[in-house]
Amino acid sequence: MKQNRVEAFFNKVVSNYRVILVVCALLFLGSVMFLPKLSKDTRYDAFLPAKDSVLIKRNQLKETFGLKDPMIIAIVNDKGIFNKNSLKIVYEISEQLKSISGIDPDQITSLSTENNIVGTDSGILVKPFYDIEELTDEKALEVSKSIDDFELYQGSLVSHDKTTTLIVAEMLDSYDMKQHEVYNSLHEMISQYNIKDHKFYLAGEGAVSGYLIKYIDEDAMRTNPFAGLVIALILIFAYRTIRGVLLPNLMVLASVGIALGLMAAFGVDFFVITNGLPVVLIAIAVADGIHILGEYYELAIKHTNYTQKELVVETMVKMWRPIAITSFTTISGFMSIALSSYMPPMIYFGVFGALGVLVALLYALFMIPSAMMLLKPQKSRVFKSVDKVDKFGNIMLLLGSFVVKQPKTILISGILIIILGIVGALKLLINEDRIKNFQSDEPIVIADQLINNKTDGTSYLDVLIETPQNEDLFKIENLQKIDSLQNYIESISYVKGSTSIVDFIKKMNQSMHENQEAFYKIPDNNQLVAQYFLLYSASGDPTDFDNYIDYDYKLANVRFRMNSGEYINEKEVINKAQKYINTHFTSSQIKATLSGKVAVDTHWISKLGVNHFLGAIIALLVVLFVSAISFKSLIAGVLTVIPVTISVLFIYTVMGVMDIWLAVGTSMFAAIAIGVGVDFAVHTIDRLKYFLNEKKLPIKEAYTEFYKSAGRALLFNFLALALGFSVLMTSSVPPLNQFGFLVAIAVIVSFLGSMTLLPAIILLTKPKFFINKK
Amino acid sequence: MKSILLVLAVVFAVNSSSIFAQQKLMDGQRIAEKTHERNEGVTLKRNLIMELKDKRGKTRVRKTIALRKYFGKEKRLLIFYETPSSVKGTGFLTFDYPEASKDDDQWLYLPALRKTRRISAANRGDYFLGTDLTYEDIKLETKISKEDYNYTTIRIEKIDNHECYLIEATPKNIATKKELGYSKAKFWVDSKLWMIRKSESWDIAGNSLKTVKISDIRKVQNIWTIHHILVTNHKTKHETVFKFENNDYQTELSDDYFTEEALVNGL
Repeated sequence: MKQNRVEAFFNKVVSNYRVILVVCALLFLGSVMFLPKLSKDTRYDAFLPAKDSVLIKRNQLKETFGLKDPMIIAIVNDKGIFNKNSLKIVYEISEQLKSISGIDPDQITSLSTENNIVGTDSGILVKPFYDIEELTDEKALEVSKSIDDFELYQGSLVSHDKTTTLIVAEMLDSYDMKQHEVYNSLHEMISQYNIKDHKFYLAGEGAVSGYLIKYIDEDAMRTNPFAGLVIALILIFAYRTIRGVLLPNLMVLASVGIALGLMAAFGVDFFVITNGLPVVLIAIAVADGIHILGEYYELAIKHTNYTQKELVVETMVKMWRPIAITSFTTISGFMSIALSSYMPPMIYFGVFGALGVLVALLYALFMIPSAMMLLKPQKSRVFKSVDKVDKFGNIMLLLGSFVVKQPKTILISGILIIILGIVGALKLLINEDRIKNFQSDEPIVIADQLINNKTDGTSYLDVLIETPQNEDLFKIENLQKIDSLQNYIESISYVKGSTSIVDFIKKMNQSMHENQEAFYKIPDNNQLVAQYFLLYSASGDPTDFDNYIDYDYKLANVRFRMNSGEYINEKEVINKAQKYINTHFTSSQIKATLSGKVAVDTHWISKLGVNHFLGAIIALLVVLFVSAISFKSLIAGVLTVIPVTISVLFIYTVMGVMDIWLAVGTSMFAAIAIGVGVDFAVHTIDRLKYFLNEKKLPIKEAYTEFYKSAGRALLFNFLALALGFSVLMTSSVPPLNQFGFLVAIAVIVSFLGSMTLLPAIILLTKPKFFINKK
Repeated sequence: MKSILLVLAVVFAVNSSSIFAQQKLMDGQRIAEKTHERNEGVTLKRNLIMELKDKRGKTRVRKTIALRKYFGKEKRLLIFYETPSSVKGTGFLTFDYPEASKDDDQWLYLPALRKTRRISAANRGDYFLGTDLTYEDIKLETKISKEDYNYTTIRIEKIDNHECYLIEATPKNIATKKELGYSKAKFWVDSKLWMIRKSESWDIAGNSLKTVKISDIRKVQNIWTIHHILVTNHKTKHETVFKFENNDYQTELSDDYFTEEALVNGL
């Protein structure tokens, strides 16, 4: 756009300021209206798109075998749980659970609900481990003996040291987004049990999801207002005027409100990492306001005779371009996350982050000038005269003189950071653990640790066994394959136990042979297996094996329990198990597929590393492209991305030194850091070119001018970003905490890089773009 | 219709001071007794087909031959599985003793193991061989218990166009309730044939549990005979269909069939 056309445009904007303000207000209110519709999704399934094949398979498995995300209650009695009192509590809680809404009353597993298979001298008997009416301390000891004889329940239902027993309750599917309600009811229920010697813990996949919903709510209540406060303080320091604080804050409100409102309107769920979005937008959106007001107050000093309209129009004419460029680079950062990610929460983080930045840009271009028209011309006490520099300006001038004196030192430091960063990047550890979403002293973490220590664990790997014909799972060779698979996978670290139909068949075989231990094995003829099931049905429930085998005896589920939810441990198990399946399940007669939480986790987290580097590279390329086009120079484009590249590499070193995982939250830092951090370089190059090339000032003078004006505005821009992202460090959700920390560090590095390394390189190389050598 | 009038006349005569509404309906306990007074023949040989369907609609079909004989008041039942082939030859024998205090005896013969196993006295409320009926339901078939419930006759209702007494039953005591697994039941008893045509039951916690529908009742060799039972379990969504075919009351069934030895040797 030609200068006069731009001027005409902004003249139109300020002439129609009332209409614009009304439109802005309506747009904001219209979006915010949808906010109450926003629903939270904290399940680990949420990290995969609904049409993902691994997820579809897992949902089929859940449907076929009636498996859901369980709530797990652990009852601990250090003196042992096999006494009348403890078993009575198990019974009472199991019964009470049946009436809690959200819990499937038919899917409660505990010592009081499960059946014991007993061999008698004449046959086989299926009966509950104990009957509450006949329960005595002696009977409780008999239950202990029954468990000794029933390998299946050792470690899964009762800890090996017999101090802990679990009650596993599955949730109804209809409560998928309301796990926190179920969690609260259960929590309330167990806190009413105040019984000597007994301790109660609540964990499990369903509980983690429920707890997380409550947890991120509380966290957002704390971090968002705090971020707003920090930004307001920075604005007060920058301009010491009411409008200087109010206007950028209104913009921030619009950006966050509209982004989240539209999320709700489009039915996009609020995920754990979405919690970081408002804070991120607060920090980013305020930058445009800072630059516009900075320019406005500088002009107000220079042209005391201007009307408000003239001041506003001139401000916008000067500022629209850098603001638009920096906004587009930031949008590029967010969009690279969206484009490179496979996981819906990250895609939406990128899309709605970009949307928020776009809204901030539009409000900066339209709402701020319009709102200024409601006000009279004003000077800021900070800007006293054209030549006077305040202490913030002086700091920048000091930095400038250092650059002019020591350009080589700066360049060498830059190269050192690059080398260290590459080494760091190669050592990055990709890892994730959902329980790490909580501070280590949260009750859910303590419960999780206890259950993982005492029992087989709460992390499930399910293996779906498929055969072509009805009753194929009565075949001995198939049962033996399943048995060997169980033996193999159980030998891998962190896998503590497993359950399959084979375990029940072995137990029935043993019971039919006078309980002799030698007969705890798969029988040697197919018919016998079929007949055992018939025999079992003579005293057991028809639905007893629903979780393990389907009605046609074609499909089976083998559930392995792991006591670690860490990706690197899960990956190890998945890799080994898959290798085993590839070599042992090759015939068309029996197929095995890995599924369950462990497989789903491994599937999506394995994409994290590639997504991360891809996102960073896309962001760099887009930023390079946008700046090269805007400056109409490839050299200028390359110079623009140098500081952000260094900032990202520096972060890799920090992650390596501080042992920070590349996980869901942290993996997004690079694209954001690039999109946001590049603003400093854009402003630096834009202003240096102005002073050197257009004003044709000698280098020293040009640098002095740059540091005291643009440098000062950038300092506040930097403070807003760095402190804004630091607010995330007060979050009690560790991944957000680390994300905030990393981006804040990256912002510091790219700010310093833009203020020192970039001018130093220009000083040393004197590219044509800046210095016309003619 | 004649029999109803007759019964009504008796009730009138016995209890003439009652108000009309109560007089009209037969006493529930009496109805229960009536169901036991039917002619069932002494022996019965038939094909019993059990179709079991889980909540996903997957079906297991089991074809059996079922023999039944009364030894005085004692009833003996023998079932041999014919299909699926994996359980072919599996035999189930039960002795139902008339005395409530004496546990019934049950044996299952597993041909693959060549062994007969005695099934420890099952609870009356336990499910019968993977179906939705309990041992007690199987034992009574189309009758209702004379001892376990207190009955209230509600009204007369039509089921499949047949006039039935609707009676409500509540177990006489907690022990019975737990044993049977029912806290309440409703029976629709045909007022001419004295057979159940429909029943509903509730579990111990009071949740709706099962609906049983008996249909295709017709005379075989001059004895009223059921041919179809549909049981729907509302809690598990499991369903069982019992089909009775080739009912034969005339073929003589030797006492020797109803022994452990016969279980091993087959028919």
